[in-house]
Amino acid sequence: MSTSDKTWNERLTGWLLDKKLLGRDVLVLFALTGWALAVPHWGSEFAVSMALTCLMYVALATSWTLFCGTTRYLSLATAAFFGIGAYFSAIYIEQLGWATVIVAGAGVAALVALVMGAAVLHLRGTYFAVLTFGMTELIRHAITYWEKQVTGTVGRVLTVAPERDTIYLTVLLLAVLAVATSIVIRRTRFGLALAGIGADEQRAQTLGVNTRWVKIGGFMLTAAFAGAVGAAMSVRWTYIDPSTVFNPFIGFQTVLIALIGGVATLWGPLIAAIVFSLLAETLRLQAPQLYLMTLGVLLILSVLYLPGGLASLRWETFRQWRDDTKAWWKELRRSDADKQKEALS
Amino acid sequence: MNGHPLLEARGVTVRFGGLVAVDNVSAAFAAGEMVGIIGPNGAGKTTFFNALSGVQLPTGGELFADGQRLTGAKPHRFAAMGVARTFQTPRVFGGLSVAANIDFGLQFAGRHRKASWLLKDEASILNLIGLAAQAELPAAAITPSQQRLLEIGMALATRPRLLLLDEVAAGLTEAEVDSMAQLIRRLRDELDLTVIWIEHAVTTLLRYVERVIVLHQGRKIADGTPAEVVRNAEVIEAYLGDEMVEAA
Repeated sequence: MSTSDKTWNERLTGWLLDKKLLGRDVLVLFALTGWALAVPHWGSEFAVSMALTCLMYVALATSWTLFCGTTRYLSLATAAFFGIGAYFSAIYIEQLGWATVIVAGAGVAALVALVMGAAVLHLRGTYFAVLTFGMTELIRHAITYWEKQVTGTVGRVLTVAPERDTIYLTVLLLAVLAVATSIVIRRTRFGLALAGIGADEQRAQTLGVNTRWVKIGGFMLTAAFAGAVGAAMSVRWTYIDPSTVFNPFIGFQTVLIALIGGVATLWGPLIAAIVFSLLAETLRLQAPQLYLMTLGVLLILSVLYLPGGLASLRWETFRQWRDDTKAWWKELRRSDADKQKEALS
Repeated sequence: MNGHPLLEARGVTVRFGGLVAVDNVSAAFAAGEMVGIIGPNGAGKTTFFNALSGVQLPTGGELFADGQRLTGAKPHRFAAMGVARTFQTPRVFGGLSVAANIDFGLQFAGRHRKASWLLKDEASILNLIGLAAQAELPAAAITPSQQRLLEIGMALATRPRLLLLDEVAAGLTEAEVDSMAQLIRRLRDELDLTVIWIEHAVTTLLRYVERVIVLHQGRKIADGTPAEVVRNAEVIEAYLGDEMVEAA
């Protein structure tokens, strides 16, 4: 068994332990929702905008983890689904109205995921990641081309936009739905199938899991959330063009947040999403490069020292680190002493 | 029964680039049969198994289960048709408990299949394979020979009619091999399972099966009772040597 399988197995155990705590999960979700609901009443314009970013990444990272974290299919296509939702909403919001445009944006993104998934979900690891990224770029360029050739514009100006609170509550609802879906799916056969695929896909298949459809279904679900979030967030910009809404950074940041938070956990991506959105908003104004560097350093640290993610942090983890450092220090001094002895003799 | 064999391979060929791992092998397996597959290293036994369970797509030939064509189907279709298998190196879900590993098969392939009372639920399967005491342990924490049993238990949880066993006795002590063989025979008798059993240790296997298929360099060179096979000149020449003749 390779080391990665081993850590995966540990995570799977965590996943199962997590599963037992239904009451805790629901309570935490209620408490967080309550806090988030209070923000527009008490917070400043800046606080609301920050909370909105937090909620957007909570929805994106949690829904990404739901499929990609459990099955270990690392998708970089979040930006594609987000962009499709955003574009759909920019074009149709006048005709369709707010609620319809969100639902339809999710539907269109899920349909694209169906096609994309059917094409690339038989590939694993790097191949899958690179191809999903390539397809995101393909979609972005196709839309740019279409805008230039057919409609003769580069972007879209949004004239109709709902009130700030409507947008906020919609994104909040999507974030809550993403977490609630994760809580529910962990307890279903579908969730078990996803976990089985993550642990040993072929074994799951020989035990009767139709892995192809389970994977496509999971991928579509993730895409639907990203599409809905995109549709809701697009009205925040007054002007959108393909390079804004299909920004690959949205996809990368979602993946990084999930990895740092803990891909096999329920709350990890949520915690990391909040931490990083706050960090991004504060650092972006003063030192934008510093934010990217922090993100990079934290990713490296978490991969090296905390493979289970932020959510796997316990008091024992700190104790373990302290003991490890002590042992390392002792070892270092001993070998120094040995060297000195050798030099003397 | 509708007169069809439970599982049938017609001219199955598996090619990896220029290497022919399984070369035009045909075989039929009837209900309740206990068949051994032997052959020297690299004879294509496991590859043949992979083809029989859908894990490996054959390059040529046809597969039928109960008269239904399964050529090119994915493993979950084989499982749904009652074809279950174990893997040579146990591939249990180490992070799940032993009981949850069994439950996995019950949740998927075993869900809609008719169950004998022996395979009624988790507990009865654990009793059958003798791991009831380990039910709550994580599967990674039990011994390798217990993992072998768990592999069989997971396969049984799909409520199969045919069980493909890939070297389940490898690395076990003499006594363990014996109890494993007794378990397998009991499964066959009480569940009316067809068992196809690959083993590298020929002498062990010949003691327990009623029919043997010999593979050599991907081809089937003999198919008959153990007594017939050990006297087959081609088989002896191919790889068995003295070891077998003495055993029979």
